[in-house]
Formats: sequence, C-alpha cells, structure tokens
Amino acid sequence: MSSPPSGDVLAVLLLLLLACVEFGDAAAAVGVYRLIQYDLAGAPLGSRAASLNHHAAALPLPAGADLSRSALIAPLLDLPLAFIREYLAEKKHMGGLLILLPEKLNVKDVTTNNDGKGQVRGALAELEKLLLHEEVPYPVYFAFQDDNFDNLLADIRKIASSGQPASATTGGYKLVVSSPEPRKVSSPTISNIQGWLPGLKEEGDTEQLQTIAIVANYDTFGAAPALSVGSDSNGSGAVALLEIARLFSRLYSNPKTRGKYNLLFGLTSGGPYNYNGTNKWLRSFDQRVRESIDYAICLNSIGSWNNELWMHVSKPPENPYIKQIFEDFSDVSKQMGVSVGIKHKKINVSNPRVAWEHEQFSRFRVTALTLSELASPPEFLESTGGLYDTRESADVESVTRTVRLVSESLARHIYGLKGRDIDVFAENSSLAINPHYIQSWLDLLSRTPRVAPFLQKNDPFIAALKKELSEHTADVHVQSDVLDGMFTFYDATKANLNVYQVASVTFDLLFLLVLGSYLIVLFSFLVITTRVWIISSLQLIDRIFASPAAENKSFLLLLNRVLMILLTYSGDLHHEKSRGLR
Amino acid sequence: MTVFHFLNCAALTFGPHVVYYSATPLSEYDTIGTCVKAAVVYLGTALVKLVCLATFLKVPENDKFDPYQELMKIFIGFIDVAGLYFALTQLTHRNISQNHKFQAVGLGWAFADSVLHRLAPLWIGARGLEFTWEYIFQGLEANANLVMTLSLAALGSLMWLRKNKPRTLVPIIYACALLLATMPSITSYLRRSLEWQTPRVVGFELFSSLAMAFISWQLFSACQRTM
Repeated sequence: MSSPPSGDVLAVLLLLLLACVEFGDAAAAVGVYRLIQYDLAGAPLGSRAASLNHHAAALPLPAGADLSRSALIAPLLDLPLAFIREYLAEKKHMGGLLILLPEKLNVKDVTTNNDGKGQVRGALAELEKLLLHEEVPYPVYFAFQDDNFDNLLADIRKIASSGQPASATTGGYKLVVSSPEPRKVSSPTISNIQGWLPGLKEEGDTEQLQTIAIVANYDTFGAAPALSVGSDSNGSGAVALLEIARLFSRLYSNPKTRGKYNLLFGLTSGGPYNYNGTNKWLRSFDQRVRESIDYAICLNSIGSWNNELWMHVSKPPENPYIKQIFEDFSDVSKQMGVSVGIKHKKINVSNPRVAWEHEQFSRFRVTALTLSELASPPEFLESTGGLYDTRESADVESVTRTVRLVSESLARHIYGLKGRDIDVFAENSSLAINPHYIQSWLDLLSRTPRVAPFLQKNDPFIAALKKELSEHTADVHVQSDVLDGMFTFYDATKANLNVYQVASVTFDLLFLLVLGSYLIVLFSFLVITTRVWIISSLQLIDRIFASPAAENKSFLLLLNRVLMILLTYSGDLHHEKSRGLR
Repeated sequence: MTVFHFLNCAALTFGPHVVYYSATPLSEYDTIGTCVKAAVVYLGTALVKLVCLATFLKVPENDKFDPYQELMKIFIGFIDVAGLYFALTQLTHRNISQNHKFQAVGLGWAFADSVLHRLAPLWIGARGLEFTWEYIFQGLEANANLVMTLSLAALGSLMWLRKNKPRTLVPIIYACALLLATMPSITSYLRRSLEWQTPRVVGFELFSSLAMAFISWQLFSACQRTM
C-alpha cells in the first residue's frame, strides 16, 4: 500500500471521540417531583428511594401481575386509595409509583363545576395525608398529566390487554429516573425576617413605646416539596402582611400621622413544624422588647373566605385585652359586611403540638391571636401548603378584605378612633389598598416552592422578601437558626423521568437469527456464483486422471461424474460466466 | 441488550461487505489494496462534494421540494461519478482482471460510504435503551447501497475500461449509469415530496437496487460475450 490509510485513522479517531460521549435519547423526558422523604423523631417517613429503572405498568392490572418489578403509572382520580393503603399495610413492594396530577388542579371552568373541583381537591388531600405519614420503601413521583402521558397509558394498557407479556417487537415501556442517592439536608435553616416601624416618641416621654406585632409564616410543607407553593397556606398571610406594612409605612412616614405604637412585622419560617421558627424568633428578643409587645396578630390562611373569618385565641374571650381587640375587629367587620367569630383553645404546655402561631406568643406570655378562615385548628402537617394549594385556591379579594379588616382595626386602636365612622384606608385615596400589589406578590409566591429545609440562608427568595420589607420598614433583620432535631429531611426533590420504548430480548435474538441466516445465504450465493476453483480443480483432476493410470480409475471416474452432476446443478449461467471470465 | 442491538445493526450494515469480500474471488486475489484505495478516493470525493454543497446550496427555509436545489444536488452528485472514474481508471492497481477491479473498487467505495454515513449514528443511537426501527432500516439501506455501487462500478468499467462495446448497448449503458447516479436524488424526492414513509423508501431502494444489479449484470455479460 503506497498511500497511508488516512481515512481509516480518521474514522478510528472519530470513534474514540464518540465513545466518550453518551447521549440520552428517549421517547419522552419529563420533569417529575418526588414525594418528600423525612424522618420524624427517628421514624423514617415518606418515599425512601429516588432512582427508578423498571418496566411501566398501568391500571387495570392484568391478572397475576407482579408489581414488585414494575413501576405503576396512575392518574390521580383512577388511583383507588384502598389499593395503596393495602399495599402499604401489607408492606408489599412495588418497583415505583408515578402519580399523574391533573394539569390545572382547581379548574374553575369545568362544566361539572363544583363537583370536579371538590373531587380533585378531596382526592389530593386524602392521598397526601396517607403518603405523608407512611414509610414508602419505593420511589413515588408526581407528574402533570398531558397528552403524552395519556398516549403512554393507552399504549401500556393495549400491550397488557393483548395478553402477550412482552411481544416480539415491543417489550413495553421502561421508566428510568437516574437520580443520586438522597442525602440528608445537613443543617436545615429557618430564616425569620423582621422589620420595625418605630412609633412617634415625643420629647419628654420616658416610657418605652408599646409594640404591636403582625406576624405570618411564609414557608410550606407538602407531599411534593418541589410543588409546595402554598398559595393559601400561607402565601396569602405573607402577602397580606406585606400590604399592611406598605400601608402603615405610608402613614408612619409623616411624623404628623405617626402613631404612638411601634409596629413589628415578622415573616417567620418553620410554621408546619409546630411554629418552631416563631419560638426561636421570640427567644432571640431581648426580654424588655418582648414585654413591650402589646399584642400580636398572626395571619394564617386568609386567602379564600367570603363572609366569615375566625379569630383564634388562647386567653379566654372574657379577658379585657381580648375583648377590646375583638370589639375593634367586630366594628370594622360590621361596616364591611362580614363577620368575625371568636374561638378559644386552651394551651396545653406539656403537649408539644402547636396548632396556631399565637400559641407560641402565649407561651412567652404575650397576648396574641390568629386570624384565619379555618374554623378548627389544623392537624399536624395539614393545611401547610400541600399539593392542591395552588394559585387558584387563593384569591385577591379575600386577601384584600383581610388587609382592610386588619389595617382599619389597627388604625382605630393606634389613633383612638373608636366609634367614629372613619375609613382610614378608603378607596381612591392615597392609602387605598392596592390589589395589583397583592396580586403580583401572590403570583410570585404561587410560583415559588418554599419548604424551609430546602431554602438556604442566602436563597434569592428570602433576599427578595428582605428587600421588600426594607422598602416599607426599618431595621430589617434576618434571623437564621437551625430547625430543631425532631425533623430530618432528605434532598433529591426533583428529577427527570425518561420513558424508553424497549424491545424484548426475544426480539434481539430473533433478529440475530434472521441476520445470521441472511449472511450465510448471501455467502453461499456468492460462493456458488463466483468461485471458479471448483471448475478449475475438476478440470485439473480430469487432466491428471485422464491418463490411463490403472488402479482407482473407476472410482475416480465415478467421482468425476458426481462432481460434473453437481456442477450442472449449480447452473448453466455458471458455466457461461466461467467461460466469459477467462 | 442495547449493545446487542448495536452489534446486530452493525452486522447488518457492514457484514455484507465483509461477506462479499470473503465469498468472492476478491479475497483470493488479495485485492484489499484496491479496496482501500477506492475508500480513500471516496473520502476525497465526499470532501469535495461537501465543499460544493456548502458553496452552492442555500439553507432551505421549509421542507418543500425545490427543483432548482435538487437539480444542483444532482449535478453535485455527478462528482461521485467523477470520483468513481478516477478510482477505476487513474489509480494503478496490481495485475487483476477487469472483472475483479470493478468489484473491488465498488466494494471499497460502498464500505467507505457506509462507515462515513452510518457508523456514527449507529454508535450513538443504537446503544441507547430506546428501541427504534431506524437503525435496522439504515442497515438495509447500506445493503441496497452496496448493490447499487457495485452496479455503478460495473457500468463504469464498461464505459471507461472496455473499448469495444456493441453499438446498440451503449445508450442503454449510459442511461442506466445516469439512473444509478441520480438514485440518491430520487429517494430524497420520494421522501420529501411524496412523503413516503421510511419502510416504503427502503423497500423501494432494495427493489430498485436489485433490478439495476440484474440489468447491469446482463449488460456486463452481454459485453463479455461479444469478446
């Protein structure tokens, strides 16, 4: 070879390069969200695995199907809770579970209207309650249902119903989630953001000014932490707090309208965990500051109420402070055409369960109350911003109403406007409540999952809240602390699911068989039609043994004849060609 | 199982070339040198074609069939024929008969074509978990391509290496060569304009390659017989 085979070298180099590149090609790749994995006082709860690599199965399951080596895909409404409950109770293993959530969780324009809305919400609430309090040893993922998934489910059901477990051409679908092993979140931080609006301290006033605190927790907890946006619980409360801060900062900016009370605004974290963050925040205060708090208003879930709001207290309603505050609220509510009811729940100090935020204040002997649309205290880890709590479950009007109620009552208390029919925050005034402000913040919060352990100290969202609060208040400070040891969280909350359509092993083997036979046939065909050595060797044999050499002549003649017959069978073409090729 | 699939498809794509080499007298006469030279010429031709395509062709805005672009592509396709001419006539080969020469050149050409166009997608794609028929169709196309290249090389050797041809057959030879040279354009026309699906296109390619092979074989034998 004179010229070096440069083309081959190039091909080899290309091969080497490509060997280092691994491409992922799938029929579909979609973002999925994992069920939360956490330990509560050492007990493991939630989904304990993250990576998934199994064949897909769908309901209704064929008879005798073994789910321990397949991943079940089920839309939310098709998934019977009893089925899951049974699986969990009997500790049966499943390869994995993928739950498809309807795209719009609270579709308002569904023709069945309230029924459709309630059904989805109810199913989600029940599912969440079940999964949050159980240990699930296999990965559980949530995804949003769309056309691709519908087609996938239809395909899977078709394959299952055709009776062939894995047909020759399609072995089915494989769900692959390659996620790293979930690790513990090392020190989950809770960040409380506070801001002050200092009141008017006149010359010669020696006493410390009293403080009124307005508090709301901004973090959430839900079955899928990457989807826990908690619009109503408690995005609505946080947004209301920001609007109240904005209104009062306008009032306080002018010394002539500055009230004789300090206002303290607190956006706390750690709400779902027995208001742990609020506790730590209060603990961080100087005793004197704490004692100067006249009372605190906590806002919790005020985003979807129409006529009735509840004021929850831990001191008995006959208490003069509580009575006065309640009167303030009642006056304003009557004017607004809504009603405020009062609910009393005694605190049991020995019980670690803290159902309302005001209870943490009460433990420090600060008068406090919680305003909420919920009539009864939520259970542990309930109403903390779960799967159904999306943007549609909170509306701007309810938040506006709450802001009006709280700010008007506060104004009456601060400025001593009892009994007078004055609208401090009237419409079309410079102090009007701004629904656009409320809407844009509510929209933002509904796009941001805010589970506290996954929000770092320097998370941009916390920085945004701090910045917003500093626009309205002074002395803004972020107090970070570690969530107490009862809870341990694990990461890997989001992943990419790849759906592959795979061929079964039988198909590959069959193909190999066909290919092998094709190549063999090709080989034989080419040999028979092109090789001429048979002819030449036979003719050679002929020439050698044509001479009358005695002994085995007859045998050789026979052999010669047999070979000639074989030759004629391989066709006249062959002869022609052999003659032509000479 | 996916490496298995890759090996299967690779065998389908490149196996026939190897089988052809070993089954026919090519291996006996050690014509590997010719094959390699033809492969190198193919690479050069591919490079020239790419440069011409990049220079003369516009990037299509939509997927419609543009006759002028296609005509340009056909002309550039003739560079292929020029390359084959170069490989058949200009290169010095060892003393091998004409018959084996065109086979060796055709084989080397088709093998280089398969490697360049089909190896990389095969390596990247067929090893994934996802199963598609694509690579099997690609392998069948490689087979069809081999047959067509051999036919074209045969006709080429008839046109350029053989001096005395029967008068009546000459136009047929040239017509068949033209048809083979424009085959890639024909398939792309079928795929884009008539919107034929891949199985149909591959079937058409296989059928047409066998038909052309038969025709060129008859032509070749006819020319042989007159010698």
